[in-house]
Amino acid sequence: MSEVGFETLRAPQLEGFGNFADVLRDEAFWDSLGFSLRFGTLTAVLEVALGLFLAVFLAPILQRHAWLLAILTLPMMVAPAMMGLMYRLVLHEFVGPVPHYLLAWFGTSPAFLAPGNVFWTVVVIEVLQWTPFTLLLFHLAYGSISGEIREAARMDGAKGWWMFRRVEFPMMLPTFGVALAIRFIDGVRVFDNIYVLTGAGAGGSTMSLPIYIYTSFFRGGNIGAALAASVLFALASFLILALAWRFAQRRPA
Amino acid sequence: MTRLTKAFALGTALALASPALAEVTVLGWPGGPEETALRAATEAYNARPETTEDNKVELIFFSREGFFDKLAADLAAGTTAFDVNLIATYSIGRYAPFMTPVDLGSDAAGTFGESVLSTMQYEGQQYGVPTDLSLHFMYYRKDLIDQLLADTAAQQKYSEIAQQYLGEALTPKAPDEWTWRDWAATALYFTQAVNPDSPTRYGSVLQMKNLLFNMMVFQSLPRSYGADWTDEQGNVTVDSEAYRTGLEMYKMLLDAGATPADSLSYEYPEANAAFQSGQVATMLQWNAAATDLLNAETSPATAAATATVAPPAGPEGRFTHVHGLGLGVNKNAENPEGAQQFLQWLATPAAMEIYAKAGGAPGLTGAALDAVKGDRPDLAQLGDYAANYGYVMRGATSANALSVYELQAKEFTGYWAGSETLDEALANTTTGMTDLLKPQQ
Repeated sequence: MSEVGFETLRAPQLEGFGNFADVLRDEAFWDSLGFSLRFGTLTAVLEVALGLFLAVFLAPILQRHAWLLAILTLPMMVAPAMMGLMYRLVLHEFVGPVPHYLLAWFGTSPAFLAPGNVFWTVVVIEVLQWTPFTLLLFHLAYGSISGEIREAARMDGAKGWWMFRRVEFPMMLPTFGVALAIRFIDGVRVFDNIYVLTGAGAGGSTMSLPIYIYTSFFRGGNIGAALAASVLFALASFLILALAWRFAQRRPA
Repeated sequence: MTRLTKAFALGTALALASPALAEVTVLGWPGGPEETALRAATEAYNARPETTEDNKVELIFFSREGFFDKLAADLAAGTTAFDVNLIATYSIGRYAPFMTPVDLGSDAAGTFGESVLSTMQYEGQQYGVPTDLSLHFMYYRKDLIDQLLADTAAQQKYSEIAQQYLGEALTPKAPDEWTWRDWAATALYFTQAVNPDSPTRYGSVLQMKNLLFNMMVFQSLPRSYGADWTDEQGNVTVDSEAYRTGLEMYKMLLDAGATPADSLSYEYPEANAAFQSGQVATMLQWNAAATDLLNAETSPATAAATATVAPPAGPEGRFTHVHGLGLGVNKNAENPEGAQQFLQWLATPAAMEIYAKAGGAPGLTGAALDAVKGDRPDLAQLGDYAANYGYVMRGATSANALSVYELQAKEFTGYWAGSETLDEALANTTTGMTDLLKPQQ
């Protein structure tokens, strides 16, 4: 790795593993890693739980009116950066509809992007956008369970919650794992919507790992350190995926 | 089907292979009056009979978000995508290695004046045409201030509030006599959380997002208390009483509710929207906002009652951050001669008249200013403030100036948000700035 900035882009100086050491000593790197892991875990769990609930709860309606699925999955069609921009307007105290109606109806409105609320605001925005994805996966998985299996379970006296817990959910478990993994990966690497909405946040309060890499690269002009952080991120991702894959391989046994 | 596919492929190939119609490509500052003004000037330039087909100008814009980052990457990579690009006073040191100095011709000094031309100079060379001058105005609601100055009971309340929050029973003053403490007392008085009888919800709207431009807006306050980035020996002096006073005043106003609680996510457009709502009494903002804030069509609720003055004074005087935006030539330009010709024309009084009347904010002088000040009286004010109150922090044109602003934005907003103490924020800023401003090897 090299000592390199924009001015020396074409004439970098090799400096061993100094950039890695710098990154590992940087408190902001660990803070951003912590933010990404918290954000990724929380959003993945909420999206999967909500998606599963909606897929099962709405199954009878979606079976009769499949076109409703197209409407429910619309948020996925919006580019994340546009989602961030949209919420900058929607949540603005003076021009946004949400604070406007809250003020009109209740006489008060929370400051959605104030330091105490901003983490939960970006979590909710992410969950609202990507729960349709898990809904879609669970809808397909739920619909693919054979009617004969359900019928056999009913013959054995299974119904309601017991049927779901003992028969349907175990059959959706692979989908559950895939949905959780995909949403966790997407959550950890979140960038666009948060960056457009709050940037790195006050004091770096909404700085995910990709935002840390971006700001180090462009804003700090510290290309070597940014690339070192990217390599560490890639290695950590590889490690997590390898462990997940190994876990998945062992499950059938 | 095969024929159709072939025809489509051929059409696509021809479209991709066609040379661009315009031969001088200009990357401008997007999404504001600067873009509108540049479009108007370009249209006039292309319509001139002297402008040949191969020197016509085409404009390109990309998002303002991360503009300077993307520009840095493009220039460092040796892009030929544009011949002329935007530069700013605080980024010239960063981009100069990738740009060619320009010769603006003998008219330029008469159009802009030497001090404005110098905002586009680096190490003694001219790197661009100074198309827009940026500094700060204090926007305020004249109707509300006049009412306060005429109401004895209100003045009593004002003094009580000043005593409670600032430790001094200040009395209301006219905005052009404001010190920062007068402004803070006024902002508190017009805040419903402090004074339930206030006609506005907030006394001010502060732009406190973790963003480098917001640091430029903030620093006129500590500057008026004597702040600078370094001393003459190059030692970083940001951990000073001046910076402490400014940072603490912003935090006090935020905590008192004198600015929206979301202010830590506010930048230029959010602050303008708040002021335009009629629920804010004062706002320190870029001069570029005057076009919208003083226009009854774009600000119907407030324009008629909005006035501007220079930022308030401190013990060391009255100051406003000042920088220029301009256009310079990419070192890897494919048509450097055409680019030079366009910039030379842009530096003439005739071109600047078109530019200014279309909404741009050039710092003009002499006949060039006389030609436009009937339509744009704010440009006379602009030149006046730049000359009398303008400052540039020591080190603020260095190659790492933008990174310094970024660092300050992170640390100062951390203090305002309560995630670190003032001592921690200033210590981290000092350490980071010392590294960023150390002499280049």
